[in-house]
Amino acid sequence: MTSTDLQAVLPELLLAVYAMIALIGAVYTGKDKLTGTLTWLTAGVMGALALWIGLANTATPGAAFGGMFLDDGYARFAKIAILIAAGAVLLAGEAVLARRGMARFEYPILVALATVGMMVMVSAGDLMLLYMGLELQSLSLYVIAAMNRDSVKSSEAGLKYFVLGALSSGLLLYGASLVYGYAGTTLFSGIIAAATDGHVGLGLLFGLVFVISALAFKVSAVPFHMWTPDVYEGAPTPVAAFFATAPKLAAMVLFARVLFDAFGAAVADWQQVLVLISLGSMFLGAVAAIAQTDFKRLMAYSSIGHMGFALMGLAAGDAYGVQAMLVYMAIYLTMNVGTFAFIMSMERDGKHVVDIRSLNQYAKAEPVKAAAMLVLLFSLAGVPPLVGFFGKLYVLNAAVQADLMWLAVAGVIASVIGAFYYLRIVYYMYFGESETTIETPMSPAAWVMLVGSATAMVLGVVNLFGVESAAAAAALILVN
Amino acid sequence: MSLFILVALPFLGALLPGLMNSAGRSATAGVTFTVSLTAFVGLLTNLPTILEGEVVMARVDWMPLMGLNFTLMLDGLGFFFALLILGIGLLIIAYARHYLGRDDNMGQFFTYLLLFQGAMVGIVLSDNILLLIIFWELTSLSSFLLIGYWKHLPEGRQGARMALAVTAMGGLAMIAGMLILGQIVGSYDLSEILQHRDLIQADPLYVPALVLILLGCFTKSAQFPFHFWLPHAMAAPTPVSAYLHSATMVKAGIFLMARMWPVLSGTPEWFVIVTSAGLTTMVLGAVIALFKHDLKALLAFSTVSHLGLITMLLGTGTAFGAMAAVFHILNHATFKAALFMSAGIVDHAAHTRDIRRLGGLSRLMPVTFLIATLAALSMAGIPLLNGFLSKEMMLEESGRTVLFGTPWLVPALATFGSLFSAAYSFRLIGHVFLGPKRDDYPATPHDPGAGLWLPPAILVALVVLIGVAPFVVEPFVKLVTASLLGAAGVVPEAHIKIWHGLVPALFLSLIAVFGGLILLSVFKPALRLWDSTPRPEAKAIYDAIVAAAEGLARAIILPLHNGAFTRYAAIGAVTIFAAGYHAWITGTLDAPTRTMQPAGAVPIAGWLMLLGATAGMVLLHRNRLLSLILIGIVGLMVSIGFVFFSAPDLAMTQFTVEVVTIILMLLALNFLPNRTPVESSVLRRVRDAGIAVAGGVATFGLSYHFMLRDAVSTPISEFHLANSYKGGGGTNVVNVILVDFRGFDTYGEIIVLGIAALLIYALTETLLRGPVRARLLNRKPDQPRAGDTHPMMMVVLTRVLLPIVLMVGFYIFLRGHNDPGGGFIAGLIVSIAVVMQYMASGFGWTSARLRYPYHGVIGAGVLTAGLTGIGSWFVGKPFLTSDFTYVRIPPFKEFELATAMLFDLGVFLAVVGAVMLSLESFSRLARLASEVDDDHPMDIDPSREEDDADGLTSTARAGV
Repeated sequence: MTSTDLQAVLPELLLAVYAMIALIGAVYTGKDKLTGTLTWLTAGVMGALALWIGLANTATPGAAFGGMFLDDGYARFAKIAILIAAGAVLLAGEAVLARRGMARFEYPILVALATVGMMVMVSAGDLMLLYMGLELQSLSLYVIAAMNRDSVKSSEAGLKYFVLGALSSGLLLYGASLVYGYAGTTLFSGIIAAATDGHVGLGLLFGLVFVISALAFKVSAVPFHMWTPDVYEGAPTPVAAFFATAPKLAAMVLFARVLFDAFGAAVADWQQVLVLISLGSMFLGAVAAIAQTDFKRLMAYSSIGHMGFALMGLAAGDAYGVQAMLVYMAIYLTMNVGTFAFIMSMERDGKHVVDIRSLNQYAKAEPVKAAAMLVLLFSLAGVPPLVGFFGKLYVLNAAVQADLMWLAVAGVIASVIGAFYYLRIVYYMYFGESETTIETPMSPAAWVMLVGSATAMVLGVVNLFGVESAAAAAALILVN
Repeated sequence: MSLFILVALPFLGALLPGLMNSAGRSATAGVTFTVSLTAFVGLLTNLPTILEGEVVMARVDWMPLMGLNFTLMLDGLGFFFALLILGIGLLIIAYARHYLGRDDNMGQFFTYLLLFQGAMVGIVLSDNILLLIIFWELTSLSSFLLIGYWKHLPEGRQGARMALAVTAMGGLAMIAGMLILGQIVGSYDLSEILQHRDLIQADPLYVPALVLILLGCFTKSAQFPFHFWLPHAMAAPTPVSAYLHSATMVKAGIFLMARMWPVLSGTPEWFVIVTSAGLTTMVLGAVIALFKHDLKALLAFSTVSHLGLITMLLGTGTAFGAMAAVFHILNHATFKAALFMSAGIVDHAAHTRDIRRLGGLSRLMPVTFLIATLAALSMAGIPLLNGFLSKEMMLEESGRTVLFGTPWLVPALATFGSLFSAAYSFRLIGHVFLGPKRDDYPATPHDPGAGLWLPPAILVALVVLIGVAPFVVEPFVKLVTASLLGAAGVVPEAHIKIWHGLVPALFLSLIAVFGGLILLSVFKPALRLWDSTPRPEAKAIYDAIVAAAEGLARAIILPLHNGAFTRYAAIGAVTIFAAGYHAWITGTLDAPTRTMQPAGAVPIAGWLMLLGATAGMVLLHRNRLLSLILIGIVGLMVSIGFVFFSAPDLAMTQFTVEVVTIILMLLALNFLPNRTPVESSVLRRVRDAGIAVAGGVATFGLSYHFMLRDAVSTPISEFHLANSYKGGGGTNVVNVILVDFRGFDTYGEIIVLGIAALLIYALTETLLRGPVRARLLNRKPDQPRAGDTHPMMMVVLTRVLLPIVLMVGFYIFLRGHNDPGGGFIAGLIVSIAVVMQYMASGFGWTSARLRYPYHGVIGAGVLTAGLTGIGSWFVGKPFLTSDFTYVRIPPFKEFELATAMLFDLGVFLAVVGAVMLSLESFSRLARLASEVDDDHPMDIDPSREEDDADGLTSTARAGV
């Protein structure tokens, strides 16, 4: 352990230390009374860290702790996105949690700890570090899923998430031990050397399959997606918003990291698997959401579908595919922050409602917010010219260029099916039949998230805010 | 004007109407008109270049990484469409100014309209197909807003939704087609793609690309089987219908087919799909149109029919067909927009569009009558009007087209369609304007101001002008045709003229017109026949498809996601098994490098016992006590297995852990029913057994594979064996690993252990403060208790054993560094000594005598271990570096003292503290429950009082 090692993990270290100090501090002082302050403080710390990582000298992509921790441009790209998304979701949900009596001071702290886990995940250059990051993140998430202890659904969500998550962790460990057994090392840089002429031996292949299965669980890809709708539905909406954003990106980035850094020499071995789970996720996400009227469950299926698209980028198996995945995920995060900022504010007579049919005639009551949702939903559906379309176009392009023509065509068909349920919500908002509509009281922060992300979906068509070139640079670092 | 400005102008201008809204209706319309006019004039400045046959290009890189560039191209075809869009747009804006009522938000309307206009101009000027898609979907969006503009009308909402669903989805499908096309050619630029006809048509992906692109075109241009959305979109304000649904948006699909004509047409696939779809649409639309009573619905289906006509012409793949198509696009745009505007005027004046409530308007509204009649006659194909010219060209082309090997099929159907077309045109004139004046109009019809009739009048003037003097537009039509054909065809020599001589097309035309008149004369019986024929209603089909999709989603997906945890686990398990199987059959298998070891009788017997106990456990697990015993056997066999493989440390650890956990579980059984209830069906258990066996077989296969092969690299154990004594000062390698090589790891573990114990304590405390307390207090055991709760033999035995076991623990601790043993095992052994007392003498008795601060013990353990680690910092070594020395204290022999021993002490304390804290928490629960407990488990105590001599104080609840 040298000072350069510490230098590399400084952002994670700072955030972790902050979280621990905040925890102890809050326990001995105001406890839940401090929730608001802590939320803003945590978001502030996250923002500052994102800024710092973004502006810091990025000239030397370095490996620390003997290659276990990779502080490269790829990780930094993901970290900035994770920090911003986590901070944004915290701010958007703060007022809602306070209003519904769920403001617990542990929430921002657990989110901060989960964020530390995610940052470690995306920087992992070793199976063990990967596991550590993943578990830190997962354990924090299990707890906040069950944060609303008075609600049976919330407790059930937390428990289900925990048991299935533990199962997937077990899978990951089993796979990792197989990989270690056959590669003789847990370092990604060592594992990649074990593949000869584009294929790996049977033992490594088994390890790879198990690791992929476990990671598929984390990104909620079919057929390991089953927890997603239940957990989204059961968890408090601001928590579901968090689940839908930063952890998805972190898991996806980690997925790419493992596939390319550790098994990049055996693309042919995992490409088919990824094509399958991508296909399954896209179609399940599209078809299952049709019958949904619960907005949160619908968003769960939507996120499954979106993960399918992001996986399509990965399935391409080249730098362009990774770039497409990164762009897609960045866009996905932005859209989901805005959409969830809206969902969490939905209320009727002071009670939280999530039925999409309750949005009847909403546009008449709140034209600005309805317009923002219109933009976001169209963007989620991937309708041009909104930014969501560019994400889809990117991954489709990547698939086409990698000769996965049928996957691309299937993806388009899935998005056509999927467009239906997004449009249905718009339909309810603009042309619904009933005259009674819901209220959506929003804090200024949530309003900014909603309208801001919608604006980004429109203005982003100019140059995607430069995410494209950043993603390209990041992808090139990963796939060299 | 630069093409960029041309495209951007409507978009930028779209900001203005909203801003001008407060300045009055005329100002709002005026500014919109100015914007459109500027664009129109800007377009015309490019006319000279176009006339020279050149192409105007403009290019700027947008997202080059994606192949998406902002490249624009203005050729004859693009110019033609842009002219229609902007020209008719101007008339529509003028018309809408007077059409919209006072309550309508005009700024909003014109904003949407300009957005739409910009998107349309974008489509026809795009050189990049991805850019084209963007504009394409933008028209879907802006048209959605325009169709739903009158939000109070329920049909408007339905129509907007269906229109958007159909066109937007078609557009999305088209993306895939465009991507394939771009991949084949290697560029997304149209100017590049259009050069590669042979390459594209020879590609195996040509057909999928064609189908996907046509899907976009057909949905947009309302071609069969997607024709149903257009009539339902007619609930929109009339200017919108006139602009979007007759002149421009629905022509976008036609435009794209024309644009792609040079590379996609000419193949049998193109011919069959496009021609038959066009023909079907044409006939179907014409027939339905005749029997519609809503004026706009009639016009809507007639639009569908005419779009089919154009599609059919493009489908033939001949240059003449293409020219006829171009000409008819122009003609249809003029007369149909005029008709829509007239319909709007009638609606405005008479407050109804129902043809059955109209009639005799010719004298009340002479101007409108004139305009509508001329336009309708053109639609019917009467000479000296432009509709006649292109319709005759169509009939001529149809006579040459052979579909499905039957030469008469196309001309017959085309004539049939034209006949109905003539009939509904005549019906429009006859049933709306002619006939006797009625006295029950909803409002008094009168001619509107010039603002409303002038725009259609201008169009009708064009209708007549082209009809009378076709040579005026002939050069322009040929120019556009040339640009449509590109390199794939030569502009036909034929001239557009009124009199061609007695050609077959003329006869067909005559049949159509007179047939139409005859058909109208028998309209009433025909209508009865039509009303009595059952026919599929497209909207119902659409709704049924939507409902079916929902039903499918409900039936298939939801049962899979019903929240049942076991189902999720089963799906996951099966998938992993399948994935493993996939890996197994696709992976390469190296030859084994080891041979099987011989197995003696004793190991096999042990193995069988292990197997038997496990199987028995699965079968008998509902009897909880029995299953606990079987678990004990399994644990024991595993421990013996460790002994067999020469791992005494592991065996000892496993053994002690087994004892502690089994006893803890035994205590817990007190609170639980004897048997686990049956909750699953036999079938389900069989299924689960299948999954479990598959998983077991897979694990066996993997292990077997592993054990027959050498490890990839030399095991780390060599290092440990070599350095254990040298570096760690101990001969027990396992213990040295625990306290030295991986001391950090162990340190972390004891912290986790401590936290776990604290959690158990905290949970118990919380439980005892909640409703559980009352439940425990009122708990009745579900079966009679044994009479002798604390058998004397056992009490005596455990008390005698206590000091012995403690001594053993101490011994094991001390010898740990060199022989099997160590702090962890010692901690467990000490715990066992205490657990025995709990078992034999009861919770109350033992707790009363064991009042140690276990939190402190855990803390002391962790602190001791931590301080030992920190100690190495003082000698300049990293955390937890161990050191050892040899000392001799007489009369003992020389022995070794290692710092690792201090660390081990920490481990010992933490383990003892953790187990005891858990037990303590547990006993608090137990004492609350009505456990029969004895204050004096040993009943012989002479010092006690007489009255207590029986030794039993019933239901003592110590500590409550």
